[in-house]
Amino acid sequence: MRFFKLIVPVLLTALLIAPAATIAGEYNMVMSIGDPLPVFENTPTTDGGTLSSADLEESVVVLVSLANHCPWVRGMDAGLVELVEQFKGQDVRVVGFAVNHRDDDRLPAMKEHALMSGYNFTYMYDESQDLGRKLGATRTPEYFVFNADRKLVYMGLLTNSPARKTRSGEISFINGDPVAFHVANAIAATLAGEAVDPAETRAHGCTLEYE
Amino acid sequence: MKRIPCLIFTLCLLASGSIWAENTDGQSAANTSTELQPISFAQWDGILEKQLGKITVVDFWAAWCSPCIERFPHMVEMHHKYKDRGVRFISLNLDEQGDKESIDWANDFLERIKAVFPNYHMDENMTEAFERLDLLGLPAVRIYATDGTETHRLSGDNPYQQFTEKDVENAVQNLLIQ
Repeated sequence: MRFFKLIVPVLLTALLIAPAATIAGEYNMVMSIGDPLPVFENTPTTDGGTLSSADLEESVVVLVSLANHCPWVRGMDAGLVELVEQFKGQDVRVVGFAVNHRDDDRLPAMKEHALMSGYNFTYMYDESQDLGRKLGATRTPEYFVFNADRKLVYMGLLTNSPARKTRSGEISFINGDPVAFHVANAIAATLAGEAVDPAETRAHGCTLEYE
Repeated sequence: MKRIPCLIFTLCLLASGSIWAENTDGQSAANTSTELQPISFAQWDGILEKQLGKITVVDFWAAWCSPCIERFPHMVEMHHKYKDRGVRFISLNLDEQGDKESIDWANDFLERIKAVFPNYHMDENMTEAFERLDLLGLPAVRIYATDGTETHRLSGDNPYQQFTEKDVENAVQNLLIQ
């Protein structure tokens, strides 16, 4: 009897704690590795069209949260364009999305920024913020890589060294020249049918502004 | 998971029998200067330890963080409103180590808005700082009760649970009536 008096509260406590510890990723409070790509429909893009998740046919899909105003996005823009170029001709699709409602992050400003930065990928405006919320995206830039089954295989940083555009316009890498190319490695591993390692890193950047 | 480092930190403090005391030097410095004081990880732990006896509000921010800049004046307002009621406000700036341009801008900003409470700059690698402080993004606010227990962790880390300046003030008021 005494044993049960002791064990019941312990088990109840364990049951309460366990879901909190396993419900999401280490650095993401909504998504876990292996979760499905959230559905999105008819989301407007900077090229004047729309995009739905059902339109994505490639073996690997990369979603990345962006915000034009963010120095960490501006610092990483060249690296993102380079990433798309690196996998050109392969079965990979990169899609950027913005969610903020501030004027300098909305669709008209996105069109200007995409042009100015030479964006070579689809850039869409998730005005409802629904996709951003479902992804648990909270920082810009934050990368999400999905495999052919549309299961999440990687989320987090582009590389080990986030880059910021300074007030004077220079690009500053916080850990020097990047040496670990997390997203590129995740894409390559997924294309090769291999496991992604690391599957999650701590994204760094501006906080998304959910209304 | 994210509460474990905080718990360990708190337990270590209790286990070591640390006695938190009023930092009289820090207090007098706070009254006369808004300038960022560069600190290390070890110094930061020491600063937190010295706040025992006061409700302590820590604002994590950086010059590159627009929402941080927009919200900071509210911290200054709250400082004036609650400073004589046993509430201490501290800011911890997380601009890049050695980034003089940003730190100069931050010092101008703090002076302009008269942020006359202790303002520190984490003079460590930024990646390590976010890991060590268990931060995902900025702005973030943490509130500690008089016994040093972290009672509130406010951040934009969950898209379904964002915080406002009102949440910070409500948390302070709740601690004051306890």
